[in-house]
Amino acid sequence: MEDQGRQIGDVLLEVENISLSFGAVRAISDVSFDIKKGEIRAIIGPNGAGKTSMLNCINGFYHPQQGTITYKGNKRSAMKPHEAAEQGIARTFQNVALFKGMSTLDNIMTGRNLKMKSGLLSSMLWWGMAEKEELEHRRYVEDIIDFLEIEAIRKTPVGRLPYGLQKRVELGRALAAEPELLLLDEPMAGMNLEEKEDMCRFILDVNDEFGTTICLIEHDMGVVMDISDRVMVLDYGGKIGDGVPEEVRANQNVIDAYLGGGH
Amino acid sequence: MEFLSDDVLFFIEVLISGLLTGALYSLVALGFVLIFKASGVFNFAQGAMMLFAALSLVGIQETLGVHWTIAFILTVVLMIILAWCVEKFVLGKLVNQEPIILFMATIGITFFIDGFGQTIWGSDIKTLDIGLPNGSIDFGGIFIDELALVAGLVAAAMVVGLAIFFNKTRIGRALRAVADDHQAAMSVGISLRNIWIIVWTVAGLVGLVAGIMWGSQLGVQFSLSLIALKALPVLMLGGFTSIPGAILGGLIIGAGEKLAEIYLGPFFGGAIENWFAYMLAMVFLLFRPQGLFGEKIIERV
Repeated sequence: MEDQGRQIGDVLLEVENISLSFGAVRAISDVSFDIKKGEIRAIIGPNGAGKTSMLNCINGFYHPQQGTITYKGNKRSAMKPHEAAEQGIARTFQNVALFKGMSTLDNIMTGRNLKMKSGLLSSMLWWGMAEKEELEHRRYVEDIIDFLEIEAIRKTPVGRLPYGLQKRVELGRALAAEPELLLLDEPMAGMNLEEKEDMCRFILDVNDEFGTTICLIEHDMGVVMDISDRVMVLDYGGKIGDGVPEEVRANQNVIDAYLGGGH
Repeated sequence: MEFLSDDVLFFIEVLISGLLTGALYSLVALGFVLIFKASGVFNFAQGAMMLFAALSLVGIQETLGVHWTIAFILTVVLMIILAWCVEKFVLGKLVNQEPIILFMATIGITFFIDGFGQTIWGSDIKTLDIGLPNGSIDFGGIFIDELALVAGLVAAAMVVGLAIFFNKTRIGRALRAVADDHQAAMSVGISLRNIWIIVWTVAGLVGLVAGIMWGSQLGVQFSLSLIALKALPVLMLGGFTSIPGAILGGLIIGAGEKLAEIYLGPFFGGAIENWFAYMLAMVFLLFRPQGLFGEKIIERV
């Protein structure tokens, strides 16, 4: 976990002319954008604009009917979410999807799943080795727990935690996978001001210290503009703006979409 | 143990035979708990899987004329194939569906396995003999059925192994993760496919062991799949998500129904054994619906 400095590099993920529909409902129509290595990239838009659908396409939950996604220079065919995870894409969910019966520690440990090698047989037979591996990963997870300042709730079943902390645990689980691309679905939704500020700080720190590329979704414009390098705006499944925060703020289409003009 | 009166000796004998029968109930219940814990599905097909496993073991032994160990290995392979098919053709298509839909699907699987098993192996009552002892041992005046004793020991060993597997290993954790949230599990790189195949295989193996134990006692026949119904009160007592709960629940039901039959039976005109377990389960549902060890559901409002 050393400081890798903050630098924005080449294109990590490129989405070209993606369209996605569910029956007659068009969730995304012909959207293209890219995410560069090391940046914080935001996707904003009113509710129902297709933001989460876009994340689900990148993550492999949905498969767009048209268009291509190129990740690390390879054009991806339709892939499953666990395959996306294997390639270094981790995510959080809009409505906190934690494993409620497990402790904070166990939840974050599941994030190490792909880093752990011992299989079914070996974990049953080579008990000692599996245990040693478990301990190694445990150390990494403890570092994340320190980083997110959630030491006090390590052993608490996450179902009992307040919402803001659950979101933090979920971020921890995503970080445990040491992702190259971290997708955050409304990381600040439903939080109070203080919690929002904490979350902003963590997002910036993750990006800064681990050099993780972050793509986050929000419908609340305010916070996002402050922490993002570039912002894309979706409305009714189409792209209506893209650029650095100042550009987007000045974009007339965006202003209309947010203030309800033209609807 | 001459210092004990005949009445006490008789009580202990009934208690022990009840506990050992209970261990067999636990074995059946264990199969349910495994699948419920790992996929949130109540697997109605567990009884059918047990019957199918026992039928296959006997069938392979008879048709190929091989030693039971070889038949056992072949049956294990068969259960793995069954698990693979269940994932491939049924559950794999139902990712992210409501538990009730998955439950309905397992009812379908039950009918299929029942019919399929009897089509291949026939529906006659078969005797299962893999050389398990069938006498009884005399412990100073207390007679204990040897087969039941073996069953109890096997059940105990399986429980310890499974408990460690679930709580201490990576795959155990992945299984629990899948039970909690499919989407989140996939997003951390857990393959639902593999997990479901593993868990149905393990449940199949537990079914096989339970099938061998019950089959040795009662013969391999269709009614074997009905023993699975006895697992329901066991689960209500022990909690659907708890392996120790399944064991303790089984023991309580087993001992409870035997003791009730002997000591309360005369007041009710006998045959208490048949309904006592369900009665006990109902009392539990009224006062402790999550069972002895089940996870209490905490709902934030």
